[in-house]
Amino acid sequence: MNWPLLFAQVFNGLTLGALLVLVAMGLTIIFGALGVVNFAHGSFYALGAYAGVVAYKYSGSFLLAMVSGAVVLLVVGVIIERGLIRLYYNRPKEDQILVTFGVAIVVVEAIRAHFGGLAQHLPVPSWGEGAVNLGLTYYPTYRIEVLGIVACALVALYLVLFRTKIGLIVRAGIEDPLIVNILGINVTRTFLTVFGLGTMAAGFAGVINGPIVTVTPDMGADVLVQSFVVIVIGGVGSFWGALVGGLIAGEILSLTAMVQPAYSQVMLFAAMAVVLILRPQGLFGVQGRQ
Amino acid sequence: MSEGATRRGGPFRERLPEIVVGLAVIALPFALPPIGGTLDLAQRILDWGLFGLGFDILFGFTGLLAFGQAAFFGAGGFTAAYLLTAPYTENAVLALAAGTVVGAVLGLIIGLLSLRRSGIYFAMLTLAFGEMAYFLEISPLAKWTGGENGIAGVPTPTLGFGLFTLNLETPDDVYWLLAVLFFLGFWLARRIIRSPLGLVLRAIRDNETRASAVGHDVQKYKLTAFVIAAAYAGLAGGLLGLLQGYMPPDAFYLDTSGQLVVQTVIGGAGTLVGPAIGAAVWLYLYTALQQVADIGSLWKMFLGAIFVVLVTVLRGGIGGGFVLLWRRVRGARKEGSLDAPMTAPVGQAPATTMPVDRRRARRDGPVVLSATELTKRYSGLLAVDRVSFELMDGEIRAVIGPNGAGKSTFFNMLAGVVPPTSGDVHFKGDRLTGLGVAVVCQRGLAKSFQINQLFGTLSVRENVLIAALARHLGKFRLSLLRNVLRISDLARLVDETLAAVQLSDRAGTPVSNLAYGEKRRLEIGLALATRPQVLLLDEPMAGMSPNERTDTVRLLKRIAEGISIVIVEHDMDVIFELADRITVLYNGGKIAEGTPEQIQADPHVRAAYLGSPVAHEPARG
Amino acid sequence: MAARRDKTVTRRRVLKGAAALGALPFIRPASSFAADETIGNFPAGVQGNTAFVGVTSPLTGAYSADGEDLLKGYQLAIEHLNNGGGLVGKIPTLTGKGVLGKKIEYKYADTQTQPNPAVQAQTGFITQNKAIMFTGCVSSAEAIALEKLAQRYKVINMVGCSGANETTGKDCQRYAFRSQPSAYMAAKALTPVLGKELGKNLKSVYLVPDYAYGHSVEQSTGEFTANQLGWKSLGSQVCPLGTTDYSSYLLNIANSGADVFVNVAFGADAVASCKQAKQFGVLDKMKMIVPNISAFQAKELGAEIMQGVYGTLDFWWTLAEQNEAAKIFVDAFDAKFKYKPSWPAHIAYTQMMCWADAVERAKSYNPHLVIKALEEGHKLQLPLGEVWYRAEDHQQVRAVPVVVGKKPGEMRNPDDYFRIVGLTPGPDVVPPDFLGCKLPSV
Repeated sequence: MNWPLLFAQVFNGLTLGALLVLVAMGLTIIFGALGVVNFAHGSFYALGAYAGVVAYKYSGSFLLAMVSGAVVLLVVGVIIERGLIRLYYNRPKEDQILVTFGVAIVVVEAIRAHFGGLAQHLPVPSWGEGAVNLGLTYYPTYRIEVLGIVACALVALYLVLFRTKIGLIVRAGIEDPLIVNILGINVTRTFLTVFGLGTMAAGFAGVINGPIVTVTPDMGADVLVQSFVVIVIGGVGSFWGALVGGLIAGEILSLTAMVQPAYSQVMLFAAMAVVLILRPQGLFGVQGRQ
Repeated sequence: MSEGATRRGGPFRERLPEIVVGLAVIALPFALPPIGGTLDLAQRILDWGLFGLGFDILFGFTGLLAFGQAAFFGAGGFTAAYLLTAPYTENAVLALAAGTVVGAVLGLIIGLLSLRRSGIYFAMLTLAFGEMAYFLEISPLAKWTGGENGIAGVPTPTLGFGLFTLNLETPDDVYWLLAVLFFLGFWLARRIIRSPLGLVLRAIRDNETRASAVGHDVQKYKLTAFVIAAAYAGLAGGLLGLLQGYMPPDAFYLDTSGQLVVQTVIGGAGTLVGPAIGAAVWLYLYTALQQVADIGSLWKMFLGAIFVVLVTVLRGGIGGGFVLLWRRVRGARKEGSLDAPMTAPVGQAPATTMPVDRRRARRDGPVVLSATELTKRYSGLLAVDRVSFELMDGEIRAVIGPNGAGKSTFFNMLAGVVPPTSGDVHFKGDRLTGLGVAVVCQRGLAKSFQINQLFGTLSVRENVLIAALARHLGKFRLSLLRNVLRISDLARLVDETLAAVQLSDRAGTPVSNLAYGEKRRLEIGLALATRPQVLLLDEPMAGMSPNERTDTVRLLKRIAEGISIVIVEHDMDVIFELADRITVLYNGGKIAEGTPEQIQADPHVRAAYLGSPVAHEPARG
Repeated sequence: MAARRDKTVTRRRVLKGAAALGALPFIRPASSFAADETIGNFPAGVQGNTAFVGVTSPLTGAYSADGEDLLKGYQLAIEHLNNGGGLVGKIPTLTGKGVLGKKIEYKYADTQTQPNPAVQAQTGFITQNKAIMFTGCVSSAEAIALEKLAQRYKVINMVGCSGANETTGKDCQRYAFRSQPSAYMAAKALTPVLGKELGKNLKSVYLVPDYAYGHSVEQSTGEFTANQLGWKSLGSQVCPLGTTDYSSYLLNIANSGADVFVNVAFGADAVASCKQAKQFGVLDKMKMIVPNISAFQAKELGAEIMQGVYGTLDFWWTLAEQNEAAKIFVDAFDAKFKYKPSWPAHIAYTQMMCWADAVERAKSYNPHLVIKALEEGHKLQLPLGEVWYRAEDHQQVRAVPVVVGKKPGEMRNPDDYFRIVGLTPGPDVVPPDFLGCKLPSV
């Protein structure tokens, strides 16, 4: 047993998982609170990365790029929710799935139309260059920093969800949308907030992931499916579920790649199927919620 | 073409959908070239249409949205392609049959696993399995599937039928093969939809809870629908390889499963031809948009935008739009005129021979339903506390008590909806505890709901038919080919039930058009149609006006002949008029039981309702 | 097919309305042309003043950048064939007024980087537009499927981008011709350069995407470096196609103790894996070689990462400095599209030229005659020097450029990513055993 290697791979799983956590977090609050299965989530992730690329090109500041990724997607999320998604709250689930599917196509192709299919440059920021000696292995500095950035983002999200009034309403909406409505709370503003928060998380994840992976129009496709797996494993609508689920997913991907790479994706889906069959509400979900 | 099960007319009208589809399939290769389509496009439309026939049965008619149909499409396709190119057979009929079977078997396995959940979780499960199938095809099974290359060189079809063979060498030959198979597939699908099984599937779509409550084994029916969809998928996959001489790995992509859903929704789910229409629209747009000069890669963006508009504007898809138009064009038909009873009309006026005033105090008849120390605990909350109960044959028993007394929970335990924490339910000597609501109903104990649980998109007749069907078929029967409307025993039963609840003249009306009182009567009618020995009525008077109440009381008295009834109600006048005996629950326990006069006089009962310092003890029967 | 016909007793139409079938306007082997036999779309497709060429290319999906480049190559070639210019002036048989006097018309379809849409679109072009030739693909999966289509419909297919050995190996077809170097050829061309520049008896480690082409390259490169240079492979990290995060594999590679990292990944996978290799410090520990460099890999990664990386590719624009034909091609492309062509465009352009030349020499569009003309081994002077096709496997015999990435300081302009360190002649690299190809009859 190659301990250094195992340690490296386990650590790697954490960083892989961290990125998934952020994307899944956005997906889970949208799904949990609004009941909308957002198939456009991957395209928002990609859009965030591109917003970062543009911001970086004009300013040279990675910090600004990160902020752009978040802000642009917040705006886009609000526009799409007001313009399109809200027409679908009373329509059957399939219609919601389909319209977000269509939105995903439009967003991705619009990106390709404007930027072309070539991978864009989003370089690792100067404070992220190089590698760090972790004792048992060398590891890219930036990836470790990403862990930190994601942690900060999660803390911020946690504070919003669990320590603010609007967050309380959002969580109540996840528990029981009907009651929230009856209590006379402004549901419109709540839905807007939820959708905006969710897409913002995706966009931010896109931009911080940009230096690590390739920035292409199609970069969101894999991420979308993987984040569905995460929220199923963790439990729909659950903050902790997305967190733990993402880390577990990252470990599954990393450790299976060590042993039998051809099966790494299969293992992820197998894990999802097992959870769905044995404990459909996921690790942290509430029983009986559909 | 869609809910046409209730349309009766001449043989021509009944066959109209098949005729239209047959003509369309013949006309398609001529209609396409003038607008820039090709024969290849026509072939693909039919292939997707065939794929979609099975999917529509699953999604449009049973209400199960699945996102992993590509697994069966690919499995069937690669089986057929592999057999033909290895080569293990030259006979395309064998290869296609093998593909269909493989698809069905895989459907059985995946269905058994996925159907343990419902709704969006079911969809996610099917997506997971679909993706697993894809990754298995690409790498571990690459030796047989060609991995990302697929299987090229699939020969043109040679159909062997034992004594003679048919060599299909030109593309138009292959088109006719697809046309014949699509037509047969459509004919079969239509038969399935109009069969008893088909009706149960639609019941499941509309109201799964009620379908189960009237005695159908819902899981088995869902699994059947799933396997049917998988079989159609496997056949369509095999045909894809044949029609283009190449079996692509794309067949397993998530995109393929997604495209199927997209096309079905565009064309209209629940119409059987919706997927084919959707395929025609989608594929045509796909090729036509690319032909626009200098559009380059933008075609996909426009296609996506058009799709978003279509989904937003067209509810029910194109097929649904047509159906709406068709109904509006035909105008407001007189309700029920199409649905004359199929047997001699049963008298619709309240039968004067039935005794109006019926009060029997049968306390020494045989016990038909008994509950022994029934208890239900919800982690900390004791909802029902050791309630025992005996119902005599022919008795009308009322169960009353203030809100929160545990009446509904008690009721649900009797009906099998909720399993008791401890205690037993016996029915005619047989133990019913924990058997589930469908089995309980099959044994003869039927429940009607406090909030109407009807089959919303179907007509009154169809609603009753579903309930009647449960006793006829048992919990589950694979009855795929009979026309459910032609079963005379059933028809008679339906007519009788409709007469009993006085809805005979509303038989053809869609449930959504009924007045509330009529819906309540239908609610009771559904329970009646299962020909129960014991009827459990959960607040049948809920929401009724005084007139409606009077009518309903009269109805209940009429149907009480030969049936024992347990009724939960709040309306004391109704109870005192109807009930032979009354059981009173309070705080989960039974505090009184006796005749209406006894209950009226009981101080514990009064205290329970009005509140008083008198201590409560469980009363003796 | 002929043998099976004997077993057919009767041909029966099963559907009602069978009488109408005679009017169907589909492909029928018509026998009304006295002079020439009917083969595929010949002569039906060239009855008028035009000849139709079907083009497929991925314009969306993972390979869309390569696909755009490929399409532009076709567009430029067809423009030159119809109106003159570019290499048409240098190839004696070409007139610049169409091919055999007929204007070349074409339509293109987006394959979305999937093989099935390619097959679907080309079938449409063959049956509906009566294509007399079809071309274009960016993966070997597409290429192999399209080759079979060519054989089935008897229409010539000039293969687009495809580097797998199988394309002119065990999956070779009589109606298809390929110009890109196979994995074998690339490895054989690369190895001597590696020996000279990097040395002998080194330890190598591989990153291999799990598909046929990936394994092909791994095998060929491994064999040649082992046999000729004494290199020892320490193993392969096999990753699924389309992996975006290579961290797990790169950790293993970084800790392997190898001297050379052989990156077989292609396209977006190549870009991601190289980028991450740098982040994981792999490029600081060992030299990287990329046996088949993707079309825009250098541009997407930047010279920081690609400097000192050895590899081969089908064509690099600085060949314009050594070869007149290359200069003409590069200048014409740059003038029209405002960027230096990458190698998909080169393949597209030169395949069109070779085909047109063969048609002119055959003096007919008859596929059998054109195939014979191509199989003759007639030599053309193209951007890579002298090229011709082998009759045994339809692989184009052509030089293979071996390049090394320039340091950022060495670049003379923003596109100057590579220095050409070798141009191994074609005859030296083609596989002597034809990699198992057995060409079917026409």
